[in-house]
Amino acid sequence: MTLLASGTHPSVPSWWGVAASVLLVVVTVAVVVREQLGLGREVLVACVRAIVQLVAVGALLGVLFTRAGLPGSLLWVAGMVAVGARVAGGRGRGVPRSTWVAAIAITAGVVATLGLLVVAQVIDAQPRVVVPVGGMVVSAATRGTSVVLLRIAEQSVTARRQIEARLALGLPAALAFAPHRRTALRTALVTDIDQVKTVGLISLPGAMTGLLLAGVDPLTAIRYQVVVMYMLLSAVAVAGVVASRLASSRLFDDAQRLLETVA
Amino acid sequence: MLVLEDVCVVRGTTTVLSDVSAVLATGRCTAIAGPSGAGKSTLLRLLDRLLEPTSGRVTFHGAPLPSYDVLELRRRVGLVQQAPVLLAEDVLADLRVGRPGLTPDEAAALLARAGLEGLPMDRETSSLSGGEAQRLCLARALAVGPEVLLLDEPTSALDAVAAQSVERVVRSLVADGLTAVLVSHDLRQARRLADDVVVLRGGRVVESGPASTSQYLAGAS
Repeated sequence: MTLLASGTHPSVPSWWGVAASVLLVVVTVAVVVREQLGLGREVLVACVRAIVQLVAVGALLGVLFTRAGLPGSLLWVAGMVAVGARVAGGRGRGVPRSTWVAAIAITAGVVATLGLLVVAQVIDAQPRVVVPVGGMVVSAATRGTSVVLLRIAEQSVTARRQIEARLALGLPAALAFAPHRRTALRTALVTDIDQVKTVGLISLPGAMTGLLLAGVDPLTAIRYQVVVMYMLLSAVAVAGVVASRLASSRLFDDAQRLLETVA
Repeated sequence: MLVLEDVCVVRGTTTVLSDVSAVLATGRCTAIAGPSGAGKSTLLRLLDRLLEPTSGRVTFHGAPLPSYDVLELRRRVGLVQQAPVLLAEDVLADLRVGRPGLTPDEAAALLARAGLEGLPMDRETSSLSGGEAQRLCLARALAVGPEVLLLDEPTSALDAVAAQSVERVVRSLVADGLTAVLVSHDLRQARRLADDVVVLRGGRVVESGPASTSQYLAGAS
């Protein structure tokens, strides 16, 4: 019995290896029980859920990669966009039709970013690539859209007096809200810019770690990581700017009045 | 001239204004007076379309407000809010929010008109006193060349000295021919500044006419 899988992936654990890693769950449970944190049951449920979810996703991806082809993969990405739109839309309560705003914004971020990478042949247009890369892009676009919608919904309430002061000077709604829209967009981008700044210094990023574990040469692995970092930044920027513009236009009526939003 | 004709404003299940009719004459200062919650600020917000009446209509020089381009209307009917709202980091930038091409000379003239002669253009707005900040808001509203100035309790957030400085500016603007609509719960202030008065109570007009003969304002003495 070996805990490492034999074959082409030198560092991938076998199922025996996965079983052995349950010892780590035992360690965690021991800590939370000993410290009387009342989290023992939650840890067990979380760990069981994780393995069930991952086995299901793994099996589904297996089918997707072998049978569904590119259309099936794009459908998968579209499904991820729908989930992302629900999550990000929920952050924008107070912005009318925020889920639709989020769906359009995330789609824009994904199409622009993934489209460019495929058209420029930076990545292969095959399911094994499109699905995981698409997942990363959707995740980044969702994160950016969530932050933008959250901040815009907040600003429409907290900065109401400033916005109305600008409207009262005869400024159109887009200009009256522009400083607040830019603040929201800046907040969304700053986290990702910081990540790009510190990449490799604070932690090794996911894509690169995965390639290293799969036995890829480090200088080859960083090529992928560079593309991933720039891709995530662009996904946040495109989704964020679309979300911010759509959301801010929905806060005003035809007479350039700030709607009474529900915070 | 701004005229309200049978204006009602209903928000949810609450009637904020009910069958309000009033004439706000050109070149005069009209005070909208009444106790808290009477609907004074709501009435003011109708006049530059920051709020729409549920029924009835508001006219400006005989034409209904929606017949005007709303951005042009708001340039002709300016608003100064209750507490000073500053929109930029320094004085000149704040004055330029509504009129980006404002020259420093024009800005200086506006500041003088608002009783802020000599205020440095690069002074940070965060360092201004309450009275200075409110007069800067007045100057900023004047920068876009309004015919009417709506003043929503412009001195309620200020101390007595700062309030007097703002009152002096309002008085001189009206003397120069500007139309002013002043919301105030301070009856003495309304008597000092207003030519006419519209008194609201529970969302209804209970008195309107010259301030000098107002029974409601007489209660201030």
